Amino acid sequence: MRIRTALALTAIVGLTVASLHAQAPAPAAQGQSLKGVVLKGKAPVSKDILKVTLPKPQEFDLPNGLHVIVLEDHRLPLVTLQMSITGAGGYYDPADHIGLASFTASLMREGTTTKTSAQISQQLETIAASVTVSAGLSSQSGGLSASCLTENLDTVMAIASDVLLNPAFSEEEIARYKTRTKASLLQQRSSPGFLASERYSRVIYGDHPGGRSSPTAESVDKTTRASLVEFHKTHYLPDFAVVGIVGDITPAEARKKIEGAFGAWKKGGLARPVVEDPAPIGPAGVYLVNRPGSVQSSLSIGTQAISRTSPDYDVVRLLNEIIGGGPTGRLFLNLREDKGWTYGAYSGLSTLRYRGDWTATAEVRTDVTEGAIRETLAEIAGTRDQPLPLSAVQDKQRLLVASFALSLESPQGLLSNYVTSWLYRLPADYWDKYPDRVMAVTPAALQAAAKKYLDASRLQIVVVGDGSKITEALKKFGPLQVYDTEGKKVSQ
Amino acid sequence: MRRVAPGAVVAVVMAICLAATLGAAVAPKVQFTDTTLKNGLRVIISEDHTAPVFSIAITYNVGSRNERAGRTGFAHLFEHMMFKGSENVGSGEHFALIFGNGGNMNGTTNKDRTNYFDQLPANQLDLALFLESDRMQTLGSAITPENLQNQITTVQEERRQGVDNQPYGKTFETIDDLAYASFPYKHSVIGSMTDLSAATVDDVKAFFKTYYAPNNAVLAIVGDFKTQDCLARIQKFFGSIPAQAPPPPVVIDEPVQKAEKRQSLDDSLARMARIDMAYHIPQAMTADHDALTVLASVLSSGRSSRLNESVVRQQQVAMQAVAMAEENRGPGLFRVIAMATPGKTIAELEKALDGEIEKIKSGTIESWEIDKARTSARASYIRGLSSTLQRAVMLSQYATFYNNPGLINTRPEQLAKVTIADVQRVAKQYLIPENRTVVVTSPRPAAPKGGL
Repeated sequence: MRIRTALALTAIVGLTVASLHAQAPAPAAQGQSLKGVVLKGKAPVSKDILKVTLPKPQEFDLPNGLHVIVLEDHRLPLVTLQMSITGAGGYYDPADHIGLASFTASLMREGTTTKTSAQISQQLETIAASVTVSAGLSSQSGGLSASCLTENLDTVMAIASDVLLNPAFSEEEIARYKTRTKASLLQQRSSPGFLASERYSRVIYGDHPGGRSSPTAESVDKTTRASLVEFHKTHYLPDFAVVGIVGDITPAEARKKIEGAFGAWKKGGLARPVVEDPAPIGPAGVYLVNRPGSVQSSLSIGTQAISRTSPDYDVVRLLNEIIGGGPTGRLFLNLREDKGWTYGAYSGLSTLRYRGDWTATAEVRTDVTEGAIRETLAEIAGTRDQPLPLSAVQDKQRLLVASFALSLESPQGLLSNYVTSWLYRLPADYWDKYPDRVMAVTPAALQAAAKKYLDASRLQIVVVGDGSKITEALKKFGPLQVYDTEGKKVSQ
Repeated sequence: MRRVAPGAVVAVVMAICLAATLGAAVAPKVQFTDTTLKNGLRVIISEDHTAPVFSIAITYNVGSRNERAGRTGFAHLFEHMMFKGSENVGSGEHFALIFGNGGNMNGTTNKDRTNYFDQLPANQLDLALFLESDRMQTLGSAITPENLQNQITTVQEERRQGVDNQPYGKTFETIDDLAYASFPYKHSVIGSMTDLSAATVDDVKAFFKTYYAPNNAVLAIVGDFKTQDCLARIQKFFGSIPAQAPPPPVVIDEPVQKAEKRQSLDDSLARMARIDMAYHIPQAMTADHDALTVLASVLSSGRSSRLNESVVRQQQVAMQAVAMAEENRGPGLFRVIAMATPGKTIAELEKALDGEIEKIKSGTIESWEIDKARTSARASYIRGLSSTLQRAVMLSQYATFYNNPGLINTRPEQLAKVTIADVQRVAKQYLIPENRTVVVTSPRPAAPKGGL
């Protein structure tokens, strides 16, 4: 839906007419190809690891249960607010109304009992401030965020409170929202990235909420004012919500302003919303979303992995960094810097309260689809089959620890860390000890994690591309299931 | 434009007062020194001890506008080669050293310039200076045909990923090609597949010698160091790199357009019809361009903007509509882009967009609409201060383009001078049919489905 306007191109991510019908012959996968990087070792590197002391937040609870985290930072005249409302995310959509949480969040910003949507926008934008509400289709919580110059904090807190507590859900706005959303459901099918994520999440999570990447037109149609009012009333509760505030404000002022804005929010008195893991993933499978005319294949290869609270979190995070974390990951060095098959190849770890996924992705030119899948599988296998060299592990440990130190330039990033700690009930010294935990991971622990979580028999392969050119190649990896760009299974 | 100080290094301390524009929120102003080394390298240093971090940005005065016919895409391809190793740095070692030490880095290319930046913990100052100076000095000797071929195919995948495999990918290239008469801005930064394939090692070496000379670059560095010590180190790493003859000037001779240009495109990857309108406008940092920037804000900044409130929300003829005044060193385009709501025609959408432009010219503009643009410029200035990287990038770019790094502090003030009358005047002057190019992109059903 986004109109693309960025005009600058970048060396990594940011931003011959080959229509070969046959696949280029795929050589035996090399795997662990580090040919893409040559280290001459002549550059002057300081070996000191930056020691950082984390600023500590002030934390307290309001009587209604809302947990408050305040991080004082007077460097600039700015204040940012992040609120996470457990229970208000798409995870808790009624089974017959997928997307309701996301519709509710979007429509909360479209007018309150005393202000129209246009009035809110005008008031905020005239002072260069923002208030947004959102809820993911798979997430446990809904989120409200706000940001402004310190001088406008009272205005913005009043709007945030009004949007959260008194949304109007007017029929006129609901009708508009439905039209717009249904058009974007259509539009997103033109994006290879959406098609990949739609099929991949379904393959990884099945019917679990983690498998949702888009509502349907039917669920948009059946949305009524009554359903939105009901969802808001029963799911937007302070009992298990947290609000973080960071910036040019003292803890005393923050307490006063937060009590003023959210003190009247009524406690629900319900039990903490429960979360369940997805059913264990099935055997390895191969899936094609046939997109005729595609000049690249979008690859997603991965499996279910761990939740955010898993004791293996730090190990798997490091493992992910080694396989596909940025331009120093093995996937990038192999598929791009050595082979020149792609603009970028990466992997990522998605962790929530329930068991999330680990996924490798790349967009490669059509005629190397088979080779790129083989190399990706070989890189994964390389972490399972033998212990990684100690020096490679140490390089990545230093990377994680040092980039953590650098991330502290942004106070918002640190606040997010503290919000995460509270949401997942991590120990109070969790971030202080983070560097030590990362440095303590051993090659043996990484190999054990790779064997445990990235077993070949559970790896799923999802490809969006031109079926007339890649079907035969994909069949070499196992029985193939084919879908069209509408998301429907195609019989073969 | 380049001022080479003969003999000793000259440092000028800039101190620009901003109190007038900042109102209630008094943000610190960016202070910096501005020095030119004997070899012509301009060095801007801004000390800031708020976090143990620094960022360096080098802007080279070369973009796709400097390319020649048959080598479109070369400036950007060359940018990729800057990461494939120099005499003392291996291929990919730059990535490994910067990320491996907790930093960030990238290079970007647009029509007007190419820049490279690194952000690192404060104790790695020598590392960044070593990496940047080694490639400025020796890249030409390290190019191999294998490395070049590797990045040609990588960039071709970048093109497929960003253009050829995306809906509306062709639209961008078509509108610039149609709107501009002269070569420098007519072609895309990514270039054509054929031209990319044609690039040779000799092209890379010649381009390096001409454009990657110290006298064609500005280095800005912002962060946690002592200015004098930092300057001494920069002198040590960069001082011996020889200057080169100045590159040939870019000639952009854009004639006044006399009649509307219009073209239709079919796009098999798109699902919705889209209209792109581009009006010729002057270069950035002129009074007219500032007024056009505020005009773009009135039309399309945020949800309270006219295109969103009227065309998207009230009339519901567009799913999305945006307007922007492109900031070019040379003649630019004021772009209006909108996606039609299913069931609405492009003719209806075009009429609605034209109606909003007409209302700017002959209707009333409220003062809050102008305040919005002012406050937003001030707020983004303040937000920009939170990152050393953004400051380094802006300082080196303003020095390269306008010989005035101090614009980082005075830009919000300049925009604040724009009045309602200015906005209406530039709308009447530039947003007229004979000055525009229109491209309509229509979805076309994909090629026959058939079997697999």
